[in-house]
Formats: sequence, structure tokens, C-alpha cells
Amino acid sequence: MVSEEIWALIQIFLFPGFFFLFFLAFFTEWVDRKIVAKFQNRYGPLHVGPKGVLQPIADFIKLLSKEDITPRMADKVPFNLMPVLLLSLAITPLFCIPIVGSNALVSFEGDLIVIMFIMSLIAVLVFIGGWASTNRFSTIGSIRAGLQLFAYEIPMNLAMIGPAIAAGSLSISKIVDWQIHGFWNLFIQPVGFAVLTISLMAHLQRVPFDIPEAESEIVSGWIVEFSGKKLALIRLAKDFEFVLASALIVSLFLGGPYGPWYISPIIYLAKFFICVFILSNLRAAFARYRIDHLLAGAWKYLTPLALLQIFLIKVLGV
Amino acid sequence: MAMEDDMFRNLKEKPVTIQFPYEHVEPVEGVRAKVSWDIDKCIGCRLCVTICPGNAIQLVGRGRQAEIKYNVGRCILCGECVDVCPTKAIYATKEFEIVFNNRRGMITHFRRKKRKRTS
Amino acid sequence: MTFEIPFGPQHPALEEPINFMFEIEEERVVNVKPRLGYVHRGIEKIAENRNYQQLVYLSERICGICSFAHALCYSQVVEELLDLKIPERAKFIRTIVAEMERIQNHYLWLGLTAKEMGFETLFMYAWRDRETIIEMLDMISGKRVNYGMSTIGGVRRDIPEPMIKRMEESLNHLEARAEYYTKVCTKDPSILKRTVGIGILRPREARALCAVGPTARASGIPRDVRADEPYAAYGEIPFKVVTYRGCDVASRMYVRIDEIKESIKIIRYALKNMPEGPIRVKAPMRVPEGEAISRVEAPRGENLHFLKSNGTDKPERWKIRAPTLANLLSLCRMLMGVNLADIPVVIAGIDPCIACAERIALIDAKTKKLKVWEGKDLWRYANEWYRKRYGL
Ligand code: SF4
Ligand code: SF4
Repeated sequence: MVSEEIWALIQIFLFPGFFFLFFLAFFTEWVDRKIVAKFQNRYGPLHVGPKGVLQPIADFIKLLSKEDITPRMADKVPFNLMPVLLLSLAITPLFCIPIVGSNALVSFEGDLIVIMFIMSLIAVLVFIGGWASTNRFSTIGSIRAGLQLFAYEIPMNLAMIGPAIAAGSLSISKIVDWQIHGFWNLFIQPVGFAVLTISLMAHLQRVPFDIPEAESEIVSGWIVEFSGKKLALIRLAKDFEFVLASALIVSLFLGGPYGPWYISPIIYLAKFFICVFILSNLRAAFARYRIDHLLAGAWKYLTPLALLQIFLIKVLGV
Repeated sequence: MAMEDDMFRNLKEKPVTIQFPYEHVEPVEGVRAKVSWDIDKCIGCRLCVTICPGNAIQLVGRGRQAEIKYNVGRCILCGECVDVCPTKAIYATKEFEIVFNNRRGMITHFRRKKRKRTS
Repeated sequence: MTFEIPFGPQHPALEEPINFMFEIEEERVVNVKPRLGYVHRGIEKIAENRNYQQLVYLSERICGICSFAHALCYSQVVEELLDLKIPERAKFIRTIVAEMERIQNHYLWLGLTAKEMGFETLFMYAWRDRETIIEMLDMISGKRVNYGMSTIGGVRRDIPEPMIKRMEESLNHLEARAEYYTKVCTKDPSILKRTVGIGILRPREARALCAVGPTARASGIPRDVRADEPYAAYGEIPFKVVTYRGCDVASRMYVRIDEIKESIKIIRYALKNMPEGPIRVKAPMRVPEGEAISRVEAPRGENLHFLKSNGTDKPERWKIRAPTLANLLSLCRMLMGVNLADIPVVIAGIDPCIACAERIALIDAKTKKLKVWEGKDLWRYANEWYRKRYGL
């Protein structure tokens, strides 16, 4: 009885819980930076730790120790609360994702819906954070973030529902289980995979769709007034979102982890970093689109394609 | 997406960045860098003072006793003084990393060796 | 809802301090007010206390990127006053360095524009390739920027035979890269989305607002000092003036990439047909009384220097008109009606160099008289203004 509780605590706090996830988040940021740098013929982080692995952690600590300014005009409560909420919302869904074996730490029927809900909440929080800082640039950035939500949310959710329909369950663990016994969803729903990847890029606000924080247009948009600890938390939250995005793709389309407990995390991480590689490659390969391009593209192409995918699943029964 | 081919080629190649404080590039032949004086050759003709665009050169004293005060902080490394000096008292070095942390350090005073005058 | 957005004087999209006040209506620009004056350096005033030889280096520092164009323009204007005939070889070397500078500038521009579009990879690549041409310039002149090559009466350094060999290799590389960028910029969907049809300047407007350089050529106007009024060795070298009819940012991009290729051809021709001989003639310190102007096609457009001398070794008045100043009006026209997201791209489109454009003169609109104000006057004016405004 006691040993079971200790085991649960270890799972929550060490592996695959908080400790592991924090390091995964930092490590993912490092991998992403390194890959993009390689694509661009540069070195990327280099000096902190071997090959600069510890650079994201060093950045985090540096930001924590910096001065934290709240603008006088800002709406204090939402402004101060937003980074904390963002971080906690970004970590929560990760517990629903199976990393060891096909069972997640928290798994119930319908956790996919909860994840979708939380991902929309994140976008709304971004809007609130930008709006509360009452800066011209962050106002524009937050309006853009809101608009962007309208563009990508529906195709993203449709693409996430596709595997659920195929597996006949709304629980991620069950979807993973179904894939282990059958095919990977990537092979039966390639269109859904593409739609999900693109809309996740928009959700993560990464380069072709980093419209709400366009550095050269509106000076990093909604983040502009956040500094010090708040900025550190926001950046960490963004890393977690990135982890979540890759993890979602792996679980929904690439079959998640399988095998005995000592093999499955390795397989999982291998798939995970393939996803990170794809996302990093896309980040390096594009110029930034404009908000109207994104809206038009999402409604003209992404949504119909996602619907088509669901239609195919239902009609052809695959 | 049109750059994918080049991007994947670069994945295999070594980055082109030169990590400056750790790695150095040999300056090219004839680089324009800091100048220096062979003060004993100087005849104090003031030509270098007149031509210097940055007013970096100051002549102390007169004629063959003249000494040079050279302020690197004002020097724009044009090399005109090297070309103009009639006795080739000025020569170019290859020293291009010129950093100081106080103003006084920028000024070099080229002094003549004390010679016993035999009159 | 209209709201005002300041753009600059410190803004990550603008490398230089200029302020634009944009009135925005639903992410569309309805009005623009540019404000200059943040980096006035008083170069024209300094010039009155320096002799002609020293000024070559001052003129080089008007602009860090098109430094040779300014030095060349200044040297030409003094040579005209002195009635100096410079050697043929010097003319060819001037042409070569000027064209190399154009290549360097256009690669830089390509990278900057890519950065404004959020295309970091293209930015890194363009600047990496720019390194090749900078190394060539370093090899010839001994410096990476502000080459100090042009001087009154010729050039300061020769291009010997072994260098030509190495230059040819670099030129081949650069040409291949230019071809590659043509491919990228005509194919990549995200670049096309951000540039085609953005920042329109119709040919009639371009003519009326006196656009110069690649900005004018992208609107289909073949305006190029190199062809219209050849200086240095351009009269003897065949080349084509690149024009495009798109009138948008994409055309400005294609004009510049094609100009890189054209410049490489010019350099090849000049290296092959360079006559032997001296590279410099001696110029006197004193310049006889007179006035002269000289025009040079800088990478960014037409560059104009006016010089008035009074018989001493110092000029009486030296007036510079840098290309950005000429293009500023066209820029305001282009910015009308563009999307907020496109502002940086459009501004980058004219290749602005604000520090070059900074000249201040107060002209009284009624009497058309030039006022020169001292500190005292300014102080008085400010006090009066506040008193009137706030009733103090
Ligand atoms: S290199 Fe040029 S600036 Fe420096 S001391 Fe010589 S003449 Fe003056
Ligand atoms: S030009 Fe040469 S000789 Fe004349 S003062 Fe300068 S250093 Fe001395």
C-alpha cells in the first residue's frame, strides 16, 4: 500500500512527471534552436554546458533574476496572474499524454476534449495578457492572437477528432492503444496529420505564423510589456506548449510509446524528436504570413481538408 | 519552401560562423590597421599632421627634435600618413583589435632616445 | 477606430532612427507623417573646417554601406574644380570597386528585407554570401567597410594580376548564388505573398515624386546615372539598365538581384579590359574658386554632391543629397493604404539610409528665406511657443 503511494509520487514528481517534463521542455528548446541554427549554417547555443545544452536553463535563471516591471497603466491583476496561469495551463495537458507504456498518468474518457479546451484557453489567456498590458503594440498583438485563434482552432480540433473517431474513443491513452494494435493514424489519415501540424504551428506562434508577436512589425507583440520573472514563466510555458504539440502529434498520429516499460520511453522520445525536427524545419523554411493570409488560408483550405478527412473516415470506415 | 534543398545541404556542412574571441582570422596582406612610428627617422615636416583626417597626430616640439603623440581613438585607420611621410618614419602594423578601457591609454607618445649632443 | 502608432525612432525593424507616425484604421495605414532629425551629424558644417584631402575620408563616412559612392562623388567634384584628368586605369578601378560595393549593398538589402518578412534563413544566407564580396573588398583595399580607395586624382591602390584570379573565383560563386536567389524569390510562396502587389508606386507617381535608383527602376523608369551621364569608365563598358514593371516590393527585389548579376558582368569586363598605366595623379592642396556638381549612381540611387570653393584649401560650402532623401516622398506615397504588417517590408523596399538623409534647413514658407538659427533663437522660439500654447 505504502510502496504504491511512493511509486505514484515518484511518477508524478520525477518520471514522467514534473522533473522529467521540465528537463524535456528545456532540452526541446535547445534541440529546436540547434536544428534551426544548423539549417541556417550557424552554431546556435554553444557555451553553457556541453554544446550549450544548458543554455535554455541559463536563460531561464537569468530572466528570473532580472527586474520585474509592471507598467503603471496596466490592469494589474490579470497582468500579474497571466504568466502563472499560462504556465500551469501549459503543463496540465502533458499529464494526459502516455509516455511510459500506453497508459498516461491521468487518463479518463474525454481527456482529448479537455486538452482541446485548455489549448483554446491558452490562446484566450494570451489575448487577455496582451490586452491587460495596455501597450499599443501588445494591444495589436493580442487582437492578432485572438484573430489567429479563429483561424486555426476549428481545423486543429477537427484534425484531432479524426483519430478519436477512428479509434472510437475520446481518451488519448485508448487512441494510442488502438494504434499499437492496428495501424498508425499517420498512414490512414495523412491529410489530418498535415492539417494538425500546420494548425499547431499557428497555435505555437512559430515562424510562418508568429503573427501576434512579429518581432519586426510590432516588437514582439503581446509579450512586449512582460519582463523578469513573468517573461521567464511565459517562455517556459511556450516551451511546454511546444512539447505538448509534438507529444500530441506523436500520440495521435505516430502510435505513441509501445513495448515494455524500459523500451517505451526511448521509442517515444525518438518519435518525439522526429516531430520536433519537422516543426523546426518548417520554422526555418518560411517567411511570416500576414494575418489575413492566415485567416483566408485556414478557412479556404485547412477547414475543408479537415472535414474531408473526417468524411473519408466515416464513409470508408478506415 | 523553395530553400529546402539548400537547408538540407547545410545540415551536413560545418557552420560558417567564426567564433571570434576563440578563433582568429589572419588579417589580409596590406590590411589598414593601427600605424606606428619609427621616430628617429622623423624630420618634423608636419605633413602627416596636415593630412590626417581624424586629427589623430600631434607634433610636440620642432624640427628634428619633434616627437609624435598619436591618438588611436581618433585615428580612422586610413593609412594616408604612411603614404605621405617623406622619410618613411611611419609604418603600418597589422594590429586591428584596438580596445582600451581608458582614454589615456589610447594616446601613444613616441619619444626620441636621449642622445648626447656632440656640438 | 483610428489609432496612432509610432514607428521608430527606436524600432527593431528600422536599423536607423527615423520616426513615422502612422494613423491606422483596422490594420490599414490611412496617413503617414515622417519625421527626420534624430541623427543629424553636421557633416556639411564640419567640412568647412577641413581641407580637401581630409574631406575624402569624411565623405566616406556619410554612409557606411555606400561609402565608396560618396567618396567617388566627392573626388569627382573636386577633380572637376581642379580640371584634373585622371588616368584611365584609375577610372576602371573606380568602376570595379563601385560595382563591388553595389553587389555588397544588394546582398545586404536582400537579407534585411528577408528579416523584415520574418524569413530568418534567407537573411542568414544572404549575409553569409555577402561575406565573400566583403572579403574581396578587404583584399583589394585593406578594409571591409569605408574602403578608402578613391582619392582626389585617382585611386590609392592598384589591383595586381594575382588578385584578379582570386576575384574571378569569387565572382563565379556570387553569380551562382544570385541565380539561386532569383529562383527562391520567384518560387517561394511565402515570399511572393508578402511582396507581390505591396507598396505600389505607379510610374507616373514615381516620375512626379522624383524617385531614384532601384525604386524608380522597379516602376519601369530607366533612370540610371551610369547610363544617362556616364562617369568613371561606364561610358566604355556595355551594360543593361535593369527595369521591372511590377511597381511593387517584389519588383524592387528582382531589380536588385538582377543588378547583382549585371554588376558581376561589368566587373568581369572591366577586369579584362583594364588598361595599364598609373593609378593616380598628384592633386594640389588649393582649389581655385568655383562651383561644381557631380552625380554618381550609388547602390541606393542617385547621389549628388555640390561644392563651392573659395580659392583656399577649405571648401566654402559642400552640399550632399543622398538617395534616401529623394526617395522619402515616394515612400510616403507607397505606405498609404498598406497593411500594418507590410510597413517594415515597404520601408525596407527603398533601402533607406536615414543617417545619409539627415540635413536640416528651416525654410520660411512665406518669404522663402533660409533661416539660420542659433541656440539663443531656438530657446526664444520654444519659450514663445509654450507661452502661446498654454497661456503662461
Ligand atoms: S591612419 Fe589616417 S587617421 Fe590614422 S593617424 Fe594616419 S592619417 Fe591619421
Ligand atoms: S610626415 Fe613623417 S617626417 Fe613628417 S612629421 Fe610626420 S612622421 Fe615626421
